[in-house]
Amino acid sequence: MLVIDCPYCGPRDQSEFSNGGEAHVKRPDGSQDISDREWGEYVFIRSNPKGLFYERWVHSHGCRKWFNCVRDTSTDEILEIYKLDDPQPPLKKFENKIKTPSGEPDVGSGNFTVKK
Amino acid sequence: MIELNNQNSPFIHFHQKISFKFDGIKYFGYKGDTIASALFRNGIKLIGRSFKYHRPRGIYTCGIEEPNALVQIISEYSEPNVRATVKKIYEGMEVESQNRWPSLDFDIGSINNVFSPLFSAGFYYKTFMGPHKSFWKKIYEPVIRKAAGLGKPPKEFKAISSHLHHNVDIVIVGGGLNGLLAAVSLLNTNYDVLLIESDNQLGGILNNSSKINEINGKPSQEWIKETIENIENSKNIKILKNTLVTTYNYINHLIAVEDKYVGAKPTEDKVNSTLHKIRTEHVILSNGHIERFLSFQNNDLPGIMLGASFEKYICRYGVIPSKEPVIFSNNSNSNSLVQTLLELNIKPKAYIDSRSGEQIEGQLFDLIRKNDIPLYTNAQVKAAYGNKKLEKIIVEDSSGGTSEIATDFLCVSGGINPDVHLFTQSKGLLDWDEKDLTYKPSTPFQNTITLGSASGQFNLEEVENEINKKLKIFSPNKIKIKIKSSTANEYQIQKLWEVAAHKSSMWSKSFIDLQNDVTTKDIRQAISEGFDRIEHLKRFTTNSMGTDQGKISSINALGIVSDLLDKKVNEVGTTIYRPPYAPLSFAAIAGRNSYEFYDPERKSPIHQWHIKNGAVFEDVGQWKRPWYFPNSKSESMHDAVQRESKNVRENAGVLDGSTLGKIEIKGKDALNFMNLIYTNSFTKMKPGSARYALMLGEDGMVKDDGIICKISDEHFIATTTTGGAANVLACMEEYAQTEWPNLKVYMNSITEQFATFNISGPKTREIMSKVFSEIDFSNEAFPFMTFQFHEFEKTQIRIMRASFTGEMGYEIYVPASSALKIWERIHEYGKEFGLIPYGTETMHLLRAEKGYIIVGQDTDGSITPIDLGLNWMIGKNKIDFLGKRSLTRSDTVRSDRKQLVGIMPTNKEDQIQEGQHILLQETIETPVPMLGHITSSYHSPTMGHTFGLAVIKDGHSLIGTKAFASTSDQKTIPIDIVKPIFYDEKNERLVS
Ligand SMILES: [Zn+2]
Repeated sequence: MLVIDCPYCGPRDQSEFSNGGEAHVKRPDGSQDISDREWGEYVFIRSNPKGLFYERWVHSHGCRKWFNCVRDTSTDEILEIYKLDDPQPPLKKFENKIKTPSGEPDVGSGNFTVKK
Repeated sequence: MIELNNQNSPFIHFHQKISFKFDGIKYFGYKGDTIASALFRNGIKLIGRSFKYHRPRGIYTCGIEEPNALVQIISEYSEPNVRATVKKIYEGMEVESQNRWPSLDFDIGSINNVFSPLFSAGFYYKTFMGPHKSFWKKIYEPVIRKAAGLGKPPKEFKAISSHLHHNVDIVIVGGGLNGLLAAVSLLNTNYDVLLIESDNQLGGILNNSSKINEINGKPSQEWIKETIENIENSKNIKILKNTLVTTYNYINHLIAVEDKYVGAKPTEDKVNSTLHKIRTEHVILSNGHIERFLSFQNNDLPGIMLGASFEKYICRYGVIPSKEPVIFSNNSNSNSLVQTLLELNIKPKAYIDSRSGEQIEGQLFDLIRKNDIPLYTNAQVKAAYGNKKLEKIIVEDSSGGTSEIATDFLCVSGGINPDVHLFTQSKGLLDWDEKDLTYKPSTPFQNTITLGSASGQFNLEEVENEINKKLKIFSPNKIKIKIKSSTANEYQIQKLWEVAAHKSSMWSKSFIDLQNDVTTKDIRQAISEGFDRIEHLKRFTTNSMGTDQGKISSINALGIVSDLLDKKVNEVGTTIYRPPYAPLSFAAIAGRNSYEFYDPERKSPIHQWHIKNGAVFEDVGQWKRPWYFPNSKSESMHDAVQRESKNVRENAGVLDGSTLGKIEIKGKDALNFMNLIYTNSFTKMKPGSARYALMLGEDGMVKDDGIICKISDEHFIATTTTGGAANVLACMEEYAQTEWPNLKVYMNSITEQFATFNISGPKTREIMSKVFSEIDFSNEAFPFMTFQFHEFEKTQIRIMRASFTGEMGYEIYVPASSALKIWERIHEYGKEFGLIPYGTETMHLLRAEKGYIIVGQDTDGSITPIDLGLNWMIGKNKIDFLGKRSLTRSDTVRSDRKQLVGIMPTNKEDQIQEGQHILLQETIETPVPMLGHITSSYHSPTMGHTFGLAVIKDGHSLIGTKAFASTSDQKTIPIDIVKPIFYDEKNERLVS
């Protein structure tokens, strides 16, 4: 279970929070003027990287505030937590931090020792 | 009884006898005994039958790593698969062996052993996936089901467990030599420290063997006592004994189970076990090592045991399993066993070492020679034989010649492994040590420090150095320690994984996994069939997949595979050890979250009234709602619902609707916000009016519905479905915070602050005028879909003219504290008009007659408002609302979407049922096209027959045509597809 540092309440167990999927996916303005494809991409398509991921969380059993987070999905390390109106931190800020538990490459899964 | 006690053991209370039963026979042990040590005291060696071949098995180890000695405790808790090597006995304990039928001594399943070619590696894969699948169902499954399996689970869930959370700085796992020293170095520092030990004695190897005589010039036990006193007097270190760390999760989150009833019978009124959930900054793993076994023919016979375990029984449990054991080893870890035995004047029957005379430690060599113990060097045990117990072994010496030794006991040591389970659970990486022939922790993934043999550091002279170096980051107290050891300090081992078979026979097997009955032959077969990757091989053979996860054998398997593939062991890799370290009971995991505490039960403020009036309850989400109110014990649900429905249509009825979600929305931009959240437009709506509204997901599908009351442009109250309340509030909050933070709007749940009573029926107006005599309920003063606030006996109440039954009706919102008073008043005045309480089933029936949907019953997250025929509810002139753009997507405007219709059986006596599929032809021909199904169906007392709502492909254009409903017995019922309204189509009663 992760420890998530709510920007309003401080560090708490993950069980107090709900995940809200990818962050910085803006709801299209004037939604009637865009194509089916563009709207469909907003509604249905999210990225799912192995590695650094911008995602949203809400402190649902706490202050009920939403906030953003950068998490390494391969190690579950939370690299940064910031409020909704804070600027999005650039990915390159975190680049040298990627380190998977078993030293696997960025893509793929499984026991690397076995694959050798 | 043979005198097998070692009275020197300080841990067994030899003056306190304890009686217990094993397989119905009464035995005695002493306070402090485990089941295993007590059985040894009584000369019992046969303790169970093996999993697959039902071979006789004995006790193999003296701890949590035990693969064989799993027993059942007979009590109201009926604990299965208890490790006899861990569980302490208590007075009156009843223990049974497992996996045998009809008895342990004569077991019919052992015939599997003779048919063993059938059960070789990959047996399950081949029978499941092979061409003879039917064979499985008819022959294998019934036989295997009966024979396989471990213990029996308890019939009832009785054990009580509680959960305890800790937030500390450092956790030390294992209170042996290194754990105690780590605690000493952190004594009175600023760190909160938790020292966790699975045994009820701290000291580990100091208690389990004669390896260490003195520490800092004091006898070991004295040093332990002093050290514990110091720790207990410290302000910052807490000791948890009888607590096993089972799990090491991400972010230094540990799970540990504490047995609260060690050596005592659990009682029903106290907690049996505590599950500790620990969050820490650092973890120090000082959980020691595990000895591994060796594979040779029939290495599973009762009477064969690990050497260090044999020594532990003597030192820790004061019992000598045999007075004439033979020792077979390939490493220096067995030295102290010889020492321990000789100190007790017990002469091993023989000492067999695969190493040469020059390789064997000089000290041991001298000891053996001096005591005239038969010594076999460069030698191996080829096979063991005996009938249900060890009787003789075959030894092969360096010349290749064999000799027989008659013996009842064999102590085996194949080397030692650091206990890396927790380290690998934490995602730390291991490295193969070619000298010590084992995997050792290398790179930690978290803040994990390993100490002593848990880190692969087996040299006692290095202990001081290692602790001071590895704990430096804590600026600890410097450790000064002088350890006086009785044996060599250096660990030495010679490679030996498996001894080649002596003679092949049907019965003889060389095991690599005792719990899952995997043989070394199975490993060869797996590799020859191409399963040469270690993770594949594990699953194909089920090696190390038992509840012990191959603690004493999995490294041996890697060694054998590496030899077969001619690869280095670290090229072969290792399988992953998974949490939990040892099985833990569901009771411990569940804690207090069981039965009525599993999920919170929510009750209406007048719940007690419902109980008093005989309501039968239904669970709706977390709520308990009256389902129906039978008027006598004999009235069936059907009769009650028919009576209640008829009464509402003819007189009046009142429903407790307090569970409906209620959300209050306020703020300068509340109107704007509501227009964005719901499909309807609230702009032109007059204050004091109410509107039925729909909420969609961004995909355009109906998510929730409810009635919105507009108090002003800056103040709304929304109702939601009972089950959807939390989601609707969460959705509103999400959009208010993330998409439209510029809108000044705030929302809060007021569900539990207000009770809601839905009263309806033709006599409602008369009743309401009596209950609230000062209010004018005429159509002119109180029109349909309006609401008014009134003061009633100093309480503000809100009354809304609305209906979910199709009859004229009102919804009364009262503060929860006044709910019962007003509810009783309604019944008091309603009596003369025939008013009755009704439940949710009647509500469902009546609304279905009107074609009103229930979100989640008639919709399933794939239905748009257009599919429901609710186009009129969509604010077409609004620029935006949740899901609006999706309503014009090519997929949502398809005409062949599933759409809501009404259905009636063509023959009125036919019964249609919810869930039945709709067909367009009478005969069922596979594949049956999936046209849709019946979502709601009831028997209408008004119409006198069943009717239903259904979602059918292109349903709207099928209205007026005929179709069929398929029944579960493959018949079809002719039905008419009709408009989804069956009662008062013009809504005259609603607005009357
Ligand atoms: Zn918070």
